[in-house]
Amino acid sequence: MNRIEADRARFREIVRGRIRADLGRYLSTTELIARQGEHAVSVPVPQIELPRFEFAASEDDGVGQGPAARGERSAESGDGRPGEGAAGEVPGQHAIEVEVELEELAEMLGRELGLPRIEPRGKRNLEAEGARYSGLRSRGPDSLRHARRSFDAALRRTIASGQWDPKNPRVVPERDDLRFRAGKPAPRPQSSAVVFHMMDVSGSMGREQKEIVRIEAFWIDTWLRSQYRNLEVVYIVHDAVAKIVDHDTFFHLRESGGTRISSAYELCLQQIRERFPNDDWNVYPFHYSDGDNWSARDTERCVELLKQDLLPRVNQFCYGQVRSAYGSGQFKKDLDLALGTDPRVVTANVSDRGEVMGAIRAFLGSGR
Amino acid sequence: MSKARANLSSALTPELRVWSERIEQVARESGLDFFPLDFRLLDASDVNAVAAYGGFPVRYASWRFGMDYERLDKAHAWGLSRIYELVINTDPVIAYLVRSNLQGEQKLVMAHVCGHADFFKHNAWFAGTDRGMLDTMVRHAERVERCTERLGRERVESFLDIVLCLDNLIDPYQALRARLRRGEPQSLFPTSSLRTFDVLAYVSEHAPLEDWERELAEIVLAEARYFAPQRMTRIMNEGWASFWHSRILTGGVLSAAEIVDFAETHSGATATAPGRINPYKLGIELWRHAEARGEDLFRLRSLHNDASFVEELVDAEFVARAQLFLQPRPRRSGGSDAADRDPGRVKARLCAELAWGGVPRIELVDVGGARELRLLHHHDGRDLNVPRALETVSRVQSLWRAPVTLETRVQGSGRLLACDGAATEVRELPSPSVSERAG
Repeated sequence: MNRIEADRARFREIVRGRIRADLGRYLSTTELIARQGEHAVSVPVPQIELPRFEFAASEDDGVGQGPAARGERSAESGDGRPGEGAAGEVPGQHAIEVEVELEELAEMLGRELGLPRIEPRGKRNLEAEGARYSGLRSRGPDSLRHARRSFDAALRRTIASGQWDPKNPRVVPERDDLRFRAGKPAPRPQSSAVVFHMMDVSGSMGREQKEIVRIEAFWIDTWLRSQYRNLEVVYIVHDAVAKIVDHDTFFHLRESGGTRISSAYELCLQQIRERFPNDDWNVYPFHYSDGDNWSARDTERCVELLKQDLLPRVNQFCYGQVRSAYGSGQFKKDLDLALGTDPRVVTANVSDRGEVMGAIRAFLGSGR
Repeated sequence: MSKARANLSSALTPELRVWSERIEQVARESGLDFFPLDFRLLDASDVNAVAAYGGFPVRYASWRFGMDYERLDKAHAWGLSRIYELVINTDPVIAYLVRSNLQGEQKLVMAHVCGHADFFKHNAWFAGTDRGMLDTMVRHAERVERCTERLGRERVESFLDIVLCLDNLIDPYQALRARLRRGEPQSLFPTSSLRTFDVLAYVSEHAPLEDWERELAEIVLAEARYFAPQRMTRIMNEGWASFWHSRILTGGVLSAAEIVDFAETHSGATATAPGRINPYKLGIELWRHAEARGEDLFRLRSLHNDASFVEELVDAEFVARAQLFLQPRPRRSGGSDAADRDPGRVKARLCAELAWGGVPRIELVDVGGARELRLLHHHDGRDLNVPRALETVSRVQSLWRAPVTLETRVQGSGRLLACDGAATEVRELPSPSVSERAG
C-alpha cells in the first residue's frame, strides 16, 4: 500500500505546516477514545477538519439508549464512551474495542507528549533505605548459601587444578568454594504522592466541561501513577462551600449557586496538614473551573492562600480553565498576574477536548 | 485493485472458501438475494488503508485519505480498535476479511456480508447507485492525476478541498424524485423553479468554472451521491446484516467452540455505551421488533430508509423495551436531571436526527439579479455551527464567484450569513423570516 503511505506523508507535511499553509487553521487534535476498565482513554491524533454545514454540538445531544442517561445514577452510569475511531462512510466497516494495560498507556502518553520523568522533591524524599540480596560473599549463614554460584566456583577450581575427569565428572565443593548471598543497601526513590482534583461544580459548569475535566484527570492520574509507587487521589468539589467526594460523585455532581474558590483551597490545605505531611508526600493540587469567582476579594484570598500556605507544601499547583458558555475566564488572568512568574504554578486554558493534551503537556512537562 | 491486478495472496484459504460457499448457500436458502460475493483476505494494515479510501484502494490521491489512515492505523497500533470487515456496494460485492480474524469471526463476517449485500441490492435508496463504482473510481483517479500533471498538485488539491466542503449539499431524495418525475405529467413539476436541494450539482453546472474545475466538481458530486444512501440507511443496514448473521450462524454453521468467539465479537459490536445510540444494536432490535409484530421483513428492507423505518416501527412498547430516552438538558438551577422517556417525544427526535442522513437540510431558493446565490437552512430545532457555516458559505462563494447568502436561525432569531468575496458577515434578520414562509 504505497499509495496510502504517500497520502499519509502528505498529510503529515501539512500538519507540520510545510505545505498548504491555508489548512493550518483547521488543524486540531482529536482523540481516539476507548475504555480502560471503568475509565475512558484517549489518544491524541492530529486532524484537519474542513468546514461544512453541520449542527452545532448542543448540550443536549439527542436520543440515547440504556437503563440510565448521563447524570442519572445507576449501576451503569459511568465513564464509557464508545470508540469513535473508525467512523467511516462504508457501512460494513466494523471496529471493536480492545483494552490496554494502564502502565502501557502511561508509557505511550509519556512518549507521545515527550514528558520528562518526575524528579521528586528534596533529598530525603529521594532516598528510602531498602535492602536487596543482590551481592555475594564468601562467608555467611547456610540459609543464604547460593548453590549455583557455589557449584560454579567449585567447578572452576576443579578444572583449573586439573582434577576434572570427563569420564567421571565429579565436583566436590570445598569450604572456600561456598558463596553466600549478601544484602546491598538499595536506595529507592521515595514514592508517595497525593493528587487533589478540585473542581468548580457551580451551575455554569456543563456536562462537556466536566467531560473535559474527567479526561484531563484520568491522564494526570495515569501519568503520576507511573511515576510514584503509591498514589492517593482526593476529589474536592466546591461551589460556595467545598467538600470531599468520591470519584463517581466528582464527575456527576451538579450543584448550583455561587462560586467561592478559596473554600476548596482551604479544604485542600487542611487535608495536606492533617493527612499528607510534606516529609512523606509529593503533593499535586489540580484545580478546574470556568474562571468565575464570587468576588475579587475571594480571588485575593486564593492568591494569599497559595502564596503563604499551599505553594511551599506542593510540588506544583496546576489550574486548568475550562471554557464554558457562562464563565468569564477572569480567574486565570488573576492567577497569572499574581503568580505567573512562580515556577510552581502552571495554568492552562482548555476550550475543548482538542486542547486537553496540550494542557497535560503544560502541567506535566516540567517534571516537577 | 481492479480484477486484473487482484493479488493472488488475497484469495481465501481453501477452508474459508468451503465455508463461504456453505454460508452463502444458507443465506440464499433463508431468502437473501445478492450479487455474487468476492471475498478477499487482507492484512490488518492493508484493511486500514482500504478503509481510509472509503473502501476503494484505487481512489484518487489526497491528504484526507492519509489523515483517515493515520487515525485508523494509530487506533490499531494502540490497540484501541481494529477493523475486521469491510464490504463495498458493487457488483460483484467486494468484501475484505482480515487475515488475523479468528475462524469463528470469519464466519460471522461472511454471514454479515450476505446481509449487507442483500440490502445493497434490494433497498430502494441504493437503486440508483453506481454498481461499477470500482471502475468509476479508477477513472476518477486518472482524471485527477491528469489535472495534477498539468496544473500542479497544490492547485488541484486546493480546489478539491473547496468542493469537498460542499459534498453534503446533495439531495438524498434526488434519485427518487427523478423516478417520480418520469411517471408524472410534466406540468406538476414546473422546471422554471430553481429551488433545489442539489446545491453542489447546481453550482458545479452553473458556476463560471474552468473545464478542469467542473470535471473535478463532478467527480466529488458523483462520489458523494454514491455514498449518500449508506448514510441514510446505516441503522437499517447494520441491523439487517446483524439480524441475519445471528440467524445464519446459530443455525448450524458454527462449531460449539466458535460460538464463544461469535458471542464475544457479536456483543462487542452491538454493545452500547450508556447514553449513546449504537446503530448495530438499535438496528437489530428494530428488526426483531418488526419480526415480532409479524411484519414482512423483506418488504420493509426494500422500502425504507432509517428515518421512515423508525417512523414505521417505533412504538411505546419498543421505546420501553429498547430503553430509549432523550438526553436531559443540563439545568442551571440544579436538581435532578431525569431522562425523558416519553415515547412520542423520543420517536420524534430520533426521526429528526435520522432524516436527511443526519446533515442539515440546505436548499438553494433563488439566484438573484447580480447572480446572488440564496441558500436557506430548513431549521428543525437544531442550530448550525455558525462559525463553520460562515466558512462554508465563503467556500461556496469561491466556487460560485458571486455573492452567496445563507438564511438560518440561531437560538430562535433569524440570521443571514453572507459572503460577497471580499468579506463575510452575520446579519440579524427581522422576523418573521423567509424560513417560516418556506415551510
